[in-house]
Amino acid sequence: MTALTMEPAQSDGFFAALAPQGRRALFALAALAICLLFAFPVLWLILTSLRPGTGVYYVHRGTEFTLDNFQDVLSQEIVLKALLNSFVISTLATVLSLGVTATSGYMLSRFKGPIPNAWFSVIYLFRCVPYVAWVLPLYFVTRELDIFDTYWGLLLPHIAVHICFFSWIMKGFFDGIDPSMEYAAMIDGCSRWGAFWRVAMPAAIPGLTALAILCWLYTWNEFLFALILTAHETPILTVVMAQFVHELGMEWNLMSATAVIALVPALIVTLFGQKYVIRGLRI
Amino acid sequence: MADVLLSNVHKRYAGVTAVNDLTLDIKDREFVVLVGPSGCGKSTTLRMIAGLEEVSSGTIAIGGRVVNHLQPKDRDIAMVFQNYALYPHMSVRDNLAFGLRNRRVAAAEIAAAVAHAARILSIEPLLDRRPRQLSGGQQQRVALGRCIVRNPKVFLFDEPLSNLDAQLRAQMRLELKQLRQRVPTTSIFVTHDQVEAMTLGDRLVVMKDGLVQQVGTPLELYRHPANRFVAGFIGSPAMNFMNVKVAADGDRLALAGDGLRLQIPARLAPGLGARIGESACLGIRPQHIRLGAPSGDNQVGLQGVLTVTEQLGDEQLIAIRVGASELRIAGVDPDLKLAAGCKIEAAVGTDNLHFFFDS
Repeated sequence: MTALTMEPAQSDGFFAALAPQGRRALFALAALAICLLFAFPVLWLILTSLRPGTGVYYVHRGTEFTLDNFQDVLSQEIVLKALLNSFVISTLATVLSLGVTATSGYMLSRFKGPIPNAWFSVIYLFRCVPYVAWVLPLYFVTRELDIFDTYWGLLLPHIAVHICFFSWIMKGFFDGIDPSMEYAAMIDGCSRWGAFWRVAMPAAIPGLTALAILCWLYTWNEFLFALILTAHETPILTVVMAQFVHELGMEWNLMSATAVIALVPALIVTLFGQKYVIRGLRI
Repeated sequence: MADVLLSNVHKRYAGVTAVNDLTLDIKDREFVVLVGPSGCGKSTTLRMIAGLEEVSSGTIAIGGRVVNHLQPKDRDIAMVFQNYALYPHMSVRDNLAFGLRNRRVAAAEIAAAVAHAARILSIEPLLDRRPRQLSGGQQQRVALGRCIVRNPKVFLFDEPLSNLDAQLRAQMRLELKQLRQRVPTTSIFVTHDQVEAMTLGDRLVVMKDGLVQQVGTPLELYRHPANRFVAGFIGSPAMNFMNVKVAADGDRLALAGDGLRLQIPARLAPGLGARIGESACLGIRPQHIRLGAPSGDNQVGLQGVLTVTEQLGDEQLIAIRVGASELRIAGVDPDLKLAAGCKIEAAVGTDNLHFFFDS
């Protein structure tokens, strides 16, 4: 008599059971579904921006398309002014923030002592403050300094926030750069500053580029500071967009057209700096 | 070219003394190797000479000029780092020229100096490449070139070979020796590898816990180690050590301990007569033990049991248990068949016995 033992059925799961081609197809399908999920609101936005004012509530059924919305918003002086302001503020905030965050990150990465420790504590403390909690005090400060509703009134708070958030990222980039290179440069005839500027900074260019793109996109998309710290003198695109919601109703078509216009520079920046953005987001 | 003089140099970090009262006179054109285990203070010493670390107390002089308060760039030194430290955004040519450009040397002169260094190091075909396109050995050559091109007073090397694989390391060691014949600049080389230290240095400085243990030529250190640490650090395989007590036995001296008993004529160990009754650490290099019975008065015999054999092709390394101690023997005939557990008789010359006392 032989004893018969039953082996428990082994299963490597559904994916393992599929042929490689099937696995690839399923993966592609899942990726497509996720992409569509993210792309759907954008596609809907573009569709709405191309529909007449009367057609926005049946976007999916209408057949009438027009570019009048774009013509309409681009003929409004406030939109053009906001577009320019947003671009200038984003660019200036990026350049000025990077100037400070690069040196701040380098100091945090390379130096030990009371000054770096104090700076580290300040940054850490401010990072702990919720973003929303900054807005009202900043409103009063900008009023007090008489810079409310000016470039500086928006730039300075942005730069302050960027320094707190991005100094850490910059520190991470410099931590990844071998300090021996700077020592070699100092022996080769550079001062400490020269070693930073001529050796550490060029080596940090990929990190700086990633940070510049993130910084620019962040400022371009920012709404809360722009809403509270600016008024009619310095209109900002994200705020102007929201002003299509008023007591007479919501002009979804104009809002969408403005949003699509706002999308273009951000899209260009993202597409050209994709490699660096991904690197920056992974930190 | 210049001599380097370190006088009573200390380096203290918060509560820790990294370098303790270091005094060292390095002659012009001399190649001195600072050697010791990790954390012994050798790299800190080199960085103080380079000006990358401040000296807590004491003075460092290069070419007769005290450099304590000079910036690294003003000390007229060049340094090769462990990880090469090449500038990744510059070509090899620009890496070599960087130091000269900073000193505003004329372009024609820079080009000539770069070409000369490239020729010496055979890196001419690499001049237009970036460091990331080079192998480890090539990067190391470029790092050496960056030193040569400046023609400084002193070369500093901070474990430059430790990132290379064993084969390349041996090759670079040879190249460094050859380079030294062509460019005989005063050099200070830091390593934890005693083979590198022995093969490269005119003089070795063995360090431990921030203190200099011994300074001497490779042979002096090998033959006459000042203490147990130096004896164990220099030489491969490492020296065998046994704890013994010195006792008088007629006209002989007896060394006993850990199941071991040796007798040597008192006339062959004159220094030991005054140490009767003291405990000592007996050191014997594996290369100085040979298999077989002692053949004369000036040899002592060791009897043990074979525990392990290691076949190296040109020789065998074997380990025998003598009392409570395990002794390694080098240079055993590779064709000799030895089985673990067999009895081994070995002999060592009395002039190859090293004694280390606590005092």
